Amino acid sequence: MKRFFKTALGHPYAVMVMALGITLLAVLSVVSGFRMETNLDTYMPRTHPAFVFSDEADERFMIKDAILIAVEHPDSVFNPATLQKLIDIEDDLLALEGLSGARVNSIHTADNILATEDGLDVRRFYVDAPADQQGADRIALAVRGNDMIAGRLVSADERTALVIVELPESGFSRDLYDRIQSIAGRRAGPETLHVAGRPIVEGTLAALGPADMARMGPMVLLVIAIVLLIVLRQVRRTILTMSVVVASTVWAFGLMSALGVPMYSVSIMIPVMLIAIGVAYAIHLYNQIDHFTGETPGASRRDIAENAISVISSPALFAALTTVAGFVSLVTSQVYPVKYFGLFTAFGVFVSFMLTMLLVPAGIMAFGNGTVKKTAGSRGARAERIQEHGFGARFADALKAKPRFAYIATAVLIAVSAFGMSRVWINTSFLANFDSNSAIVKTDAFVNEHFGGTSSLNVILQATDPDTFKDPGVLRLMDALQTGALELENVGDTISLTTYLRRLHYSMNAADPAFDVIPDSSDLVAQYLLLYEMSGDPDNLWKVVDADFKSANVTVQMKSDDTLTIGRVIDYVEAQAADFARLGITIRYAGSGYKSLIFSDLILQGQMSSLGLSVIIVFILVSFMFRSLLLGLVSTIPVLISIAVNFGVMGLLNVPLTTSTALISSIAVGIGVDYAIHLITHYREALKALGDEDRAARFSMSHTGRAVLLNAAIVISGFMVMVFSVFPPNRQVGLLVSLNMLTAFLATVTIMFMVLRSISPRLIKELQK
Amino acid sequence: MTATKRTILPALMLCLVFAPALGAQEKTALAIMTAVYERPQPSDMSATLTMTLVDSKGKERVRSLDQRLGSFGGVDKKIMVFQSPADVRGTSFMNWSYGQAGKGDDQWIYMPALKRVKRITSDGKGGSFMGSDFSYDDLGARHPSADSHAILGSEVLAGEECWMVESKPQDAADGYSRTVSWISKSRLIGFRRDYYDKKGALLKTLSVLETRTMGPYLMITRTEMRDVQANHRTRMDFTAIRLDTGIADEQFSERAMAKGL
Repeated sequence: MKRFFKTALGHPYAVMVMALGITLLAVLSVVSGFRMETNLDTYMPRTHPAFVFSDEADERFMIKDAILIAVEHPDSVFNPATLQKLIDIEDDLLALEGLSGARVNSIHTADNILATEDGLDVRRFYVDAPADQQGADRIALAVRGNDMIAGRLVSADERTALVIVELPESGFSRDLYDRIQSIAGRRAGPETLHVAGRPIVEGTLAALGPADMARMGPMVLLVIAIVLLIVLRQVRRTILTMSVVVASTVWAFGLMSALGVPMYSVSIMIPVMLIAIGVAYAIHLYNQIDHFTGETPGASRRDIAENAISVISSPALFAALTTVAGFVSLVTSQVYPVKYFGLFTAFGVFVSFMLTMLLVPAGIMAFGNGTVKKTAGSRGARAERIQEHGFGARFADALKAKPRFAYIATAVLIAVSAFGMSRVWINTSFLANFDSNSAIVKTDAFVNEHFGGTSSLNVILQATDPDTFKDPGVLRLMDALQTGALELENVGDTISLTTYLRRLHYSMNAADPAFDVIPDSSDLVAQYLLLYEMSGDPDNLWKVVDADFKSANVTVQMKSDDTLTIGRVIDYVEAQAADFARLGITIRYAGSGYKSLIFSDLILQGQMSSLGLSVIIVFILVSFMFRSLLLGLVSTIPVLISIAVNFGVMGLLNVPLTTSTALISSIAVGIGVDYAIHLITHYREALKALGDEDRAARFSMSHTGRAVLLNAAIVISGFMVMVFSVFPPNRQVGLLVSLNMLTAFLATVTIMFMVLRSISPRLIKELQK
Repeated sequence: MTATKRTILPALMLCLVFAPALGAQEKTALAIMTAVYERPQPSDMSATLTMTLVDSKGKERVRSLDQRLGSFGGVDKKIMVFQSPADVRGTSFMNWSYGQAGKGDDQWIYMPALKRVKRITSDGKGGSFMGSDFSYDDLGARHPSADSHAILGSEVLAGEECWMVESKPQDAADGYSRTVSWISKSRLIGFRRDYYDKKGALLKTLSVLETRTMGPYLMITRTEMRDVQANHRTRMDFTAIRLDTGIADEQFSERAMAKGL
C-alpha cells in the first residue's frame, strides 16, 4: 500500500485528473440513474415467518391501514351542515387517485341495525344530509341508540365524527398524504379537521426524516469546513480535504446508482457520515507533515510527502479498515436499506482514505506544502520540535503521577453505565419519533381521547376444524378475551365476530339487554350470520372471520403505538393461549402495528449482532496490524467503554433503544477505535526510536494525541450539527455519535494509554526480537 | 327504482323469451331494450338454486336453496329456503316487491334456531344478494325508461350476432355509471352485461353460461357474475325448474316460510 502511494507521488497530475475523472463519472451515474425509494414496505423482510403470516392474514381479513379524519364541531356534529360535510369529505377522498376503490366508514356509510317490534331494521343513518335540524336530531337519536356506532364513529360527547378511509393495496404515497392534508385544510371551518392514523404518521416520518437530513448535510459541510480551516490553518488544505470527502460521497452515490440500488431514507445519512468521518485521514496526514517540516526545515516536497505516507498510511489504513468494518457489520441487519447504508458508507469511507492518501501528497508534489498560518501564540513550529514538553507531555506525566484517579474514574463510570444499561428500554413507536408538541402527536392524542385508538393489533385465532367459530363455547371465550383486553391500560376498543353476533342477538330479541350475549346454539349463530350477509355489508363479516369459520380476527384498538402497550396486549393474550389451545385454537398476530414491532425487534437484534461483529472484526484487524493479540485487546478498551457509556446514558436519560439509536453503536465502534490505532502505533514507534518509555509516552501523547484530539473534535462538531435537527431521531443520532466519540477519545488518552504504558516492558521485549 | 322494475322471474332466472326477429336496421337502442324487457313470462316458478361463491384464491362456498316465485296483483312474491349448509338448513327469506314508486320491499326471515319469523326492513337495494357478487338490483329487470340507451356496435358472441347496447342511468345516484349489454339479434336475449363503477372502470361482468328451452320460454339455467375488481365470482345454477304450476298466493306466507317448500 505504501509503495502504491509512493509510486503515485511521481504522477501528481495524473492522480488528480483520474480522481476528477472518476468523480465526474460518478456524477454522471447519479444524474442518469438516481432513484428514490419512499415505499416503507421495502424495508420489511418479506420472508420472515411472522411477516409471511401477517401478510397472509392481512389479505384474508382485509386488514388495511386506515387514515382517520376526525371532524370536530364546537357544539355537535348533528347539524345539517356538518352531516353534509361528512359526505363532502367522503366524496373528496374517493375522488383521489389511489383511493378510488377504498372503503370509507362514517355515520354516512354505516348501516344502522335496529331492533323493531317484530324484527329488524337495517338502513343507513342517512343517505342525503338532512334539510333541517329536526332531521339532524333524528340521526343523533339513531346513533345514540346503536352502540356499534356511538363511541366508534361519533365521540361520546357528539362533538367529533370520524371518517375512516381504508388504504387500498397500492399503499400510501407522499403525494396522497399531501392531497389528504389539502382536503382537510379545504373542508375545515367551523369544524376543525384532524388527520390521524398510522399511514399519516409513517408518511410524515418518511417525509420529515430525509428532508431534515438533507438540510443537515450542507450545515455539516459548512461546520466541518470552518473547523478544518481553524485546525489546518490553510485554505488550500481545507479545500483539498473538503474535496476528498465530497468526492467520496459522490463516489458512494455513484456506485449505488450504477448498481441500481435506490436511495432510501436512511441513505440520507451517508453524506453526513462521510463528511464527518472522512476528514480524519487528512488531519493525521497534515499533523505528520507539520511535525516533519518542523523538525526538518527545507525538506523537499517529495521528502515531506514520502515521510507522511510512511508514517501515516499504515495506521490510517487500519483506522479506515476498522471504520469500514463498523459499517460493513450492518450487513447482519435483516433490513435491506440498512445493509445498503452500511455497505455504501463503508465504500465511501475507504474512498475518502484512498483519496486522502493520494491527493494530499499529490497536492504537495504539485503545489508545495504552502505556509501554515501561524496562530497568535505561534506555538506551531517550536512546539512541534519539542514534542516532549507540550501540553500532551504534561498530560502524559500527570496520568502517570496519579494513575489511581483515572482507574477509579473509569470504574465509577462503568458502574454507573451498568446501572443505566439495566434501564434501557426498547421502543418501536413511530409516534415517539416526533416532538410531543408537534401537530401529529396532538392530533393522535385528540383522536385517542375521543375514540377507541389510532393503533391496532390483530389477534388471529386459528383452528383446524371448519365452523369452529360458530361454536358458542369458542365465541364466549373470545368474548371474554375481549372484555379482559378492554381492562388493559391504553386499550380503547375491540372488534370481532362476537361484536356483530351480540348486536344481532340483542336486536333480534327486541333490544332486550339480557340478549346482549353470545347466542346459545351454533345453528343460531350461523343463521344470524346469514341474516347479516343478507341485510348488512358482508365484507364487514369477512374482516372478522374467514368463510370456513376456521379462523377469526380480533382487532384490539390501542391509544398508543409504543412497544409497552402492544407488548402488554400480547402478554395478556398469550396468558389466555392455553384456554384456546384446549379448544384446538392457536393464536398468532397480524397487522402493521405488529409487523413494525417484529420489524423493530429484528433491527435491534441485527444491531446487537452488528455490534458484536464489529467489536470482533476490530479486534482481529488491530491484532493483525500490530501482530499482537495483547495490543488488539488494549485497543478495544476505549470502544468497550464507549459502548457501555452509550447504553448507560440512554438508560439514565430514558432515551429508548429505537431503530435509529441502535444503528449507531456498531458504527461508533469502527470510528472510535481509530484513536487507539493512531496512538498505539506512534507510542510503539516512539518506544522503538527513543528507547525511553517516559519520553515515548510524552512524545506520542503530544504529537499523536494532538491529532487524535483534532480528529475527535472534528467528528464531534460534525455530528453535533444534527442536534439542531427538528427531527428527534436525527438529534439523538447526532448526540449519541458525539457522545461515543468523546468517550472513545477520552478513554483512549487516559485509561487505554495507561494500560498501554503498563505493558511497555513486554512491548520493548517484542520490539527487540 | 322499484317502480321501474319487475322483479318477477327475471330475478334469479333472467328468463328470456323467443321473440320475432327484428330488422336490425330499424331498431333503436331503446326499442331493443324494450323488446327484451316486454317479453311474456311465466306466471310462477319454482326451482332449486345452487350458488357457488368463488373467492380470489379460488376457494368455493356452495349454498343451495329452494325457491318459489309468483306475481299477485302487481306484487312480486318470492320465498327462498336454504337447504345447505346444514347449519342454516330451513332458514327462509320471503320478499314482497311492490310496483308502486317509493314503496320499499317487505322482507321476512324465518330462523329455525329461533323458531320465529322476523320482519326485516331495509333500504339496501344496491347491496349484495346473499353475500354473492350479484346485487339485488342486478337480479331485477330494469325498466328501459330508467336509462338512456345507445347502440355501440355489433359483435359475435357465442356464435350469435349481438348488438352491444350501452345504457346510462337517468338518475345520477344510481349504483353504476353505465352498463353494456350484448343482445342477440335473432333471439333478443342478453348474453352478457358489463357493469361500470362510478369512476367508469369495469366493475363486474355477467355471463350467461347455459340456456334451456322450456315450452314457450327460453330459460337461463346457468349464469356467472364476476367481480373483476375484487377478483371473485358467483355462479348460479338452476335445476328442477317448474313453470306455470299455479302456485297460490297463500303459499307466500309466514306459515309457509316456517314449513319449508
